Amino acid sequence: MRLCCRIPLASFDLEIDVTFDAKVTAIFGPSGSGKTTLLDAIAGLKKIASGEIEVNGRALFSSKRGIDLPPRERGVGYVPQEAALFPHLSVRKNILFGARRRSLEPTVAAIGMKHVVEVLEIGSLLDRPVSQISGGEAQRVALARAIVSRPQLLLLDEPLASLDIGMKEKILPYLARVRDKFAIPIIYVTHNISEVLSLADWIVMIRRGRFVAQGPPRQALRSTPALRDLEEEPLDNILSGAWLGGDQREGTSRVRLASGREVVVRYAEPPAGQTLQLKVSADDILVATKRPEAISAANVLPGTITQLEPLGGQVLLEVEAGGIFSVRITAAAVNRLNLTVGKEVFLIIKARAFRVL
Amino acid sequence: MIFSFETWQITFFSLSVGFLSTLLILPFGIPLAWLFARKDWPLKSVLETMVLLPLVMPPVSTGLILLKIFGRRSPVGQWLYDRGIEIVFNWKGVLIAMAVMSFPLLFRSARTSFTEVNPRLEQIAATLGASAIKIFFVITIPLALRGIIAGALLAFSRALGEFGATILLAGNIPGKTQTLSLAIYNFVQLGQDAPAYVLLAITVGLAFIFVWSSEWLLRSRRGR
Repeated sequence: MRLCCRIPLASFDLEIDVTFDAKVTAIFGPSGSGKTTLLDAIAGLKKIASGEIEVNGRALFSSKRGIDLPPRERGVGYVPQEAALFPHLSVRKNILFGARRRSLEPTVAAIGMKHVVEVLEIGSLLDRPVSQISGGEAQRVALARAIVSRPQLLLLDEPLASLDIGMKEKILPYLARVRDKFAIPIIYVTHNISEVLSLADWIVMIRRGRFVAQGPPRQALRSTPALRDLEEEPLDNILSGAWLGGDQREGTSRVRLASGREVVVRYAEPPAGQTLQLKVSADDILVATKRPEAISAANVLPGTITQLEPLGGQVLLEVEAGGIFSVRITAAAVNRLNLTVGKEVFLIIKARAFRVL
Repeated sequence: MIFSFETWQITFFSLSVGFLSTLLILPFGIPLAWLFARKDWPLKSVLETMVLLPLVMPPVSTGLILLKIFGRRSPVGQWLYDRGIEIVFNWKGVLIAMAVMSFPLLFRSARTSFTEVNPRLEQIAATLGASAIKIFFVITIPLALRGIIAGALLAFSRALGEFGATILLAGNIPGKTQTLSLAIYNFVQLGQDAPAYVLLAITVGLAFIFVWSSEWLLRSRRGR
């Protein structure tokens, strides 16, 4: 995929030239960097002064070759931030709006509405008017509408930003499922690092319309310009796992992480599917250099420090402990414990610090 | 004798020509309103002012302009006459006068409701593969429908009340071009108060129904 464009905006010009090939690409940057403008340009909704946009080897725009496909011929499924469901149509009619489009490429197989509805769990909403569903449901319906139109590329514009925190945690697993169940590349715009780390396998960072860095998320986030944002932003670890069972009286559940390591989390109802996602804030993880005893925290995970990145007075550690955990502690703690890359440590995480998404 | 044949004839004539005139302006007024709500071009505001002129100009002046355009001595009138169509001093004159005078009301209301349709919805519909025609009829028109109907109702009531332009273009010929308004004027001139009051009551009743339903439509749109 190639994105190369210059778009004059009111306060600055958006200028970007990147080539990437990833399943989920996050466009990451602070608010007002021109991220939504970029998505609009890909979808053909925003005029581009010059450049080239290529998806799966097909040119959607090229000022050199005089190509500028109209939005309807671009084969791009767009889920805008505000969902933009058609308010006068039922949920079902919204989803089917783009269903009759002929596929632009014979290789793009039709994805049946039934399948999409199952994956996104919106079957019970189908006959409701759009005015009677919640914000998170509206996002899932907008996602289904885009997928059913057989796109070659999905554009998601901060699908979590317009929702409150509680909602946010419920839509993330659906985004992960869309990524895993449908073979559609996704470009995902966000200013939230946790989302990038949990969903994307490539990240393009921009700031005020300029390209900053790109690469696999963890690597790219380490490059210094982006880290200035990391000092104060909330930073969560999001881990996939399988639910092993729970004990309501004990108040705990057990989850097996992808690496095979088991963790104990506060009791949660069994999830609908096999897999679930856990979230733990980088600020809620303790680091010890000796295995602590007689401690209330249920999880003591041995691991190794793989990265150590100073952020002003704070330090961001990356610890391989049956999964990569980002841990944010003060510089004083790093000095006191004499933490360095390669050092063996124990991560201490309370069961209640994990949230099941 | 109050509800005479004549009373009914006049009421029926007014209602049917008014209805026809509203039908006539819909296919012009709706696309034009959409253009003004969604597109930009040079001198747009000049054209807009011209479209809205009949709203503020003395109706008699509009009528005089129409008479000059459609009179047999004008090229347009002559061209129409050669094809067997005569506008002046018959029911077609009433129709044209009503249409021209009520057009701005439909236009304004429709334009406002098109402006209120979120353009993002039309854009997203385009990314889903919809053609411009499909977007217009499946997204834009249904979302603007209340405003369009309210505008059509207002236009209809304005058409029924038309006097100045009609009397110049179509005259006041009983049984041929006499509308409710023209007839009331006529009866009062002749000193026949009783039939004038009957027609007056009819016009008040109709106006009430139309304004009330148009307001109701606009109110429930805002309530959504």
